[in-house]
Amino acid sequence: MAVSVVVVDRNLRPGVGPILKGFWVTFKNFVESAFLGKAATIQYPEQKRQVSSRYRGIHILTQREDGTPKCVACYMCATVCPAECIYIEAGERPEKTIEKYPTRFEIDLLRCVYCGFCVDACPEEAIIMSGENNLVGTSREELLIDRDRLMARSELVEHEAGYRPVDHDVRRPVRIAALERLRDEHGIVPGMPQGSGARRQR
Amino acid sequence: MPKCTIDGKQIEVAAGTTVIQAAELLGIHIPHFCWHPDLPVDGNCRMCLVEIEKMPKLQIACNTQVTDGMVVQTESPKAAEAHRTTLEFLLVNHPIDCPVCDQAGECYLQDNYMAHGLHESKVELEDKVRKRKVVDLGPIMLDAERCVLCSRCLRFEKEVTGTNSFEFVNRGDNTQISTFENRPITHEYAGNLADVCPVGALLSHDFRFKMRVWFLKSHESVCPGCSTGCNLFVDERDGEVQRLRPRRNPDVNKSWLCDPGRALYHAIGSQTRVTGARVKGAVWEGVSLADAAQRVAAALKEAAGASAFLASPQASNEDLFAFRALAEAAGGRLDFRVGSPEARLRERLDNVLQRADRNPNTQGCLDLGLGRDGVGAILAACAAGQLKALVLQGPELLRVPEAADALAKVPLVVVMATHEGPELERASVVLPAAVWAEAEGTFTNYQRRVQRFRGAVPPPGDARARWELAAAVLEAFGRPLGATSARELFVRVAAAHADYAGLDYRALAGSGRVLPGAGSGVAGSAQEARA
Repeated sequence: MAVSVVVVDRNLRPGVGPILKGFWVTFKNFVESAFLGKAATIQYPEQKRQVSSRYRGIHILTQREDGTPKCVACYMCATVCPAECIYIEAGERPEKTIEKYPTRFEIDLLRCVYCGFCVDACPEEAIIMSGENNLVGTSREELLIDRDRLMARSELVEHEAGYRPVDHDVRRPVRIAALERLRDEHGIVPGMPQGSGARRQR
Repeated sequence: MPKCTIDGKQIEVAAGTTVIQAAELLGIHIPHFCWHPDLPVDGNCRMCLVEIEKMPKLQIACNTQVTDGMVVQTESPKAAEAHRTTLEFLLVNHPIDCPVCDQAGECYLQDNYMAHGLHESKVELEDKVRKRKVVDLGPIMLDAERCVLCSRCLRFEKEVTGTNSFEFVNRGDNTQISTFENRPITHEYAGNLADVCPVGALLSHDFRFKMRVWFLKSHESVCPGCSTGCNLFVDERDGEVQRLRPRRNPDVNKSWLCDPGRALYHAIGSQTRVTGARVKGAVWEGVSLADAAQRVAAALKEAAGASAFLASPQASNEDLFAFRALAEAAGGRLDFRVGSPEARLRERLDNVLQRADRNPNTQGCLDLGLGRDGVGAILAACAAGQLKALVLQGPELLRVPEAADALAKVPLVVVMATHEGPELERASVVLPAAVWAEAEGTFTNYQRRVQRFRGAVPPPGDARARWELAAAVLEAFGRPLGATSARELFVRVAAAHADYAGLDYRALAGSGRVLPGAGSGVAGSAQEARA
């Protein structure tokens, strides 16, 4: 079997051309960003970048008209949270129609993965997200934020609201359709004992 | 014995068995609300309709007895349609406030809706009939809007406690359950009302808003509150017990649990637990468990038989066995009867569950032969200054004021204690003991039924099961116990006592095992029958 040999010419002569070409790119970008205002960078933190309206930044707890939290402490967000960063303690409200509210509601922002599942799970649109992404602190405790800070953060005012449920409807027919599909096509009935799920598979 | 076919599976059942019971035996779950295994059949919710061949109409499975050759379809199109429409009716005026309802996660309405309903409500939320909410009935909270009028609570009050607190009031859409003038429930079995309620209409005040049930892990256990030995679940999250819940055992407690028993969990995570060993010199000095065991063993060796051992009927059979091994190694006197609990072992406090002996394992103490020398004789020896060491498995004796003088004459009083208290000042060595929910073991109840309980949460600090404390002292004494787990110890118990022959933890699974023969001491067949 013949062996083919590739001969590499190592005797390259350094040309001025490619160097000038490189300098030209640098020069062009310098002129564009310094004089023509086409810079890709911004002067953070004086300048802030505009984020998408669905941006998943630091959470906000929404309020009722009387300033109390909309949250009813149902623990749906804490249940769905993959990072287990939400801690809630529930208390009793005098209004019989609301009954329950969070006496403690804490999010460990350092543990949070900003997936937005809490917003999806919330039946009351009580937890939404903001465009705020400036997560700076000098201690861990500082970034474990409590109910009152989640409800009223002055620094959140300047940021637009981020991810939040669109067209909120407690009955969510889409979800029911999804459940039916799950049941009919895969025989899975969430929340039921094993027996009935297996029976449906038959 | 009639034979029937349910969903294609054949089963032979005892005469008088209903279709729903036969289906449960086959592992087929028929949806229901009003049927409860320990309450009389009412048949009012109409959720358990099934199709039975050769019967013109659908039948309710809870009140139809199995006959020979019966062929039942639980999920035929006709039956499934009936389940769906029944559920739609039951949910017509339901407030759908699952987010704030403590029943969520163990609610029959939720479960049945996911399995059989999945319909969209035809009634707008605003048009629903409003009823009373957040009615405080003492240990129970009533929310009439969530009620499905299954009458389980009415039947419980009528058949089990005989108090008849609940009644239906008003008619039609406005029917709701109520107590007379909204008076609170006063009997000691109120917690069961929250358990029998299939929905969130009756909820426990104690558990209110405390925890969502899906976070809880359940551990099989036995109540240590009295000699009845009710089976229960310890529901815990992250090592913190949140509630106790009855575990069905038809031969002991059916599906019930008394309120004093339910409240026992408060003592587990209490701030007053003994978390480390300590020794009294001029002042109390905290020491390690091994250190304390060394000192106790040294003192017992020095006492050379001039010692006494007092077991506790609060301890498990395993604890008692290890304690007896310690007493025998030291050659001391041995008893357990502080205040003669064995006399009240079978005495009932009411007609439901509670018994006068507030110890879970008095019968176990008798069976394992711990009542040997008499507490009176031991105290007399203490008073005469004959004893150099006294080892207590529980603080019972320290609480008896008359014993204080006698105890003061003993140079070394060792006590295994779970909770701090003024009585511990009378001891000279305190060993931290785990409570029942933190250890594994068995209790023998008034029927001589040996029942197993499992550890649910870790003990605080240095606290250990009482048998481990005894084992540590035995080790230091140079007579190691030779068992490293409660399971091994129980095998030793079974080998040492004829009544326990052949028993191990596997044999005790489920509802426990009744020991054969008449018991030692007060156990007699006549008393057995009356109990």
